Amino acid sequence: MKYIIGALAMLVLVAVIALTQAQNLMFNITPSPYGVEETAARIQENIQRMEGRGWALSGLRNPAAAVAASGSNVPPVLLVEACSTKYSGPLLKIENSRIYSILMPCTITVYKNDDGSTSIGTMNAGLMGWLFGISDIMDEVFADQQAFITFDPSRPAPPLIKGRPGGGGGDGKPEAGC
Amino acid sequence: MNIPAKKIYRGLLLIGCFLASSVSANVAPAEPAAAAAASTAPAVVMVEETEARKSTSTADHSKFEELKKNFKNGPEVTKACLTCHTEAAQQVHSTKHWTWEFLNPATKQKLGKKNIINNFCTSVTSNQTFCSACHVGYGWSDDKFDFTSENNVDCVVCHDTTGKYKKLPGLSGHPNYEVMEWPPHSGKFREPTDLKTIAQKVGKTSRATCGACHFYGGGGDAVKHGDLDSSLKEPQKYLDVHMDAKGLDFSCGKCHLSDSHEVSGSRYAPTAVDDNGALMRGDKGDRNPTTCVACHGKAPHPPGTAAVEKLNSHTDKIACQTCHIPAYARGNKATKMTWDWSTAGKLDEEGHRIQKRGSDGNVIYDSKKGDFTFERYVIPEYVWFNGEVKFTLFGDKVDTNNVVKINEFQGSAGDPDSRIWPVKTFRGKQPYDVGNETLGVFHTAGGDDSAFWGNYDWDKAMAWGMKAMGVEYSGEMVFVETEMSWPITHMVAPKEDALKCDQCHRENGRLQNIGGVYMPGTNNTPMLDWLGYAAALMALIGVLIHGGIRYYMSKRG
Repeated sequence: MKYIIGALAMLVLVAVIALTQAQNLMFNITPSPYGVEETAARIQENIQRMEGRGWALSGLRNPAAAVAASGSNVPPVLLVEACSTKYSGPLLKIENSRIYSILMPCTITVYKNDDGSTSIGTMNAGLMGWLFGISDIMDEVFADQQAFITFDPSRPAPPLIKGRPGGGGGDGKPEAGC
Repeated sequence: MNIPAKKIYRGLLLIGCFLASSVSANVAPAEPAAAAAASTAPAVVMVEETEARKSTSTADHSKFEELKKNFKNGPEVTKACLTCHTEAAQQVHSTKHWTWEFLNPATKQKLGKKNIINNFCTSVTSNQTFCSACHVGYGWSDDKFDFTSENNVDCVVCHDTTGKYKKLPGLSGHPNYEVMEWPPHSGKFREPTDLKTIAQKVGKTSRATCGACHFYGGGGDAVKHGDLDSSLKEPQKYLDVHMDAKGLDFSCGKCHLSDSHEVSGSRYAPTAVDDNGALMRGDKGDRNPTTCVACHGKAPHPPGTAAVEKLNSHTDKIACQTCHIPAYARGNKATKMTWDWSTAGKLDEEGHRIQKRGSDGNVIYDSKKGDFTFERYVIPEYVWFNGEVKFTLFGDKVDTNNVVKINEFQGSAGDPDSRIWPVKTFRGKQPYDVGNETLGVFHTAGGDDSAFWGNYDWDKAMAWGMKAMGVEYSGEMVFVETEMSWPITHMVAPKEDALKCDQCHRENGRLQNIGGVYMPGTNNTPMLDWLGYAAALMALIGVLIHGGIRYYMSKRG
């Protein structure tokens, strides 16, 4: 009996830890020294500089605009989307792993905090890889993500690239990078 | 690569759980960033098109014989207006919009655009040709302007309904009467202003007409105020519940009631506290009708729960705007936050003017003006404010070792007439005349050799500007850091978006810099915390001991 109680207690403890630490485990939050637009633009620039690793911008979204259109206020949020055929190709080729297309394109969120500062949010690609048994790919994605959000302050602020440079994807046109 | 199905399910299950707390936002194409604001124009760029609103007037001005003439210039239009509206020009003559002067009754300081120095384009003096694009008159180019002339009053700038009437900087308050390249060197040309059509379609003022100047203060759209920009021309509800174009659709005049052309509401002597309650229609008292209380009364939140009562009781310390304008520059137009004149004058290798834009498209460096920073969705700063504003005026001695406060909001926690107000604080670096120990006035724009925007020579520009102020330039200038604050009163958000309790009542909350008042939840007393923890621990230990003894006694039988 005491073993069952002990096991249940352990399960509860694990569940509590998982729930309270979920955000920290699944997402990485990094402060940015720049405003939302400039941060997003610098990420875009970094992504474009990694073309050699198959990366290409696939879009920039503004979920705050949709909320505003519905009559409410939210601080600025921009979603930078990118994809790399180097990583997406192997996953999409095999039926079993095709479900991971749900994670494509790779999205980086840039948002303004209540104190006026800017944060960058990325998915913990390393943990994803471990969970799904695709560490070989996701570890590389993780390393590239880190490069996306590492800024060179000596470079001037680049212009923000708006819209969906690769087309919609659903209209027969190829989605950039994927 | 073959991945076991159970691994997939495990991963997706975990993701599902974890993502439950993440953002699930609707998506939309990215909106265009704020338009490039600070153009070559030093003053304003007028509003483009305005939506013609249905007129309820009993007069069709197109049927008036006086307005069927081919007017050569603005004063001719005014002359025609005055044939019917005989007293209008004299009424305008006594307003701030005409005199650009304001005598603060409390401080006795002589304020108004004509007298103050700000930290944007700094001073009107010596720059009237450009600045008067926002004057309700024609022909103000220097200190010889005839302020008594009735025909010099510009009726159309406030009463235009076509959106075609534009007073361009550099024309001393006139629109263009001939074909003109605008913006300069752009290759685009503006046709002569069709004064006849415009005069025949005059009507009530609108957000577009007021906004033609007030949205563009400081040299471009959204630049100066932060809570006033062209997004308010046809705003959605999220931006301003009162001006919501598909809702209440207030014009500026709905709150800024005017009497004999004098428009109520002032940034020089704002009403920080209104204890009068709702304003009775027709009340002829001398109170300011442009307050929240004038419509919403002194207990604006409908009585009910204790929480709502608490909101009403907060009004003895907090201005309505503090909670109901959670951020400004929310209309997708970035407002200028800093302006550093000290870096102005840099040219490229070929001696040409430089302009650099930031990621959002706003100009962040201009040889004519120096460095800027912009921001949108800005969290205000907060100050105690009792309605009195003290300005640092030309000739006032300043301490250059500290940041010079161009204006300073008065008030304190102990002052019953003070409330906590949201403000935009604009920071800059601007010229200071060392020998005269005063903020500098310099000549920015004009076709002469002394205008800074023509020759990038600070000494020449300062000599001209100081002379226009009646002082000889000492020959030595430096740049001093300055601050200027603006009360935030527009862009009132829907009530659902008002500040929540915990946005202030927490550590490092919104009001962390507000002194003199205790705000629950903003800090803690370690000793008290430890006493609490100790009491809880002692209670736990007591329970355990008690339980242990009872268990032991039961075992003993």
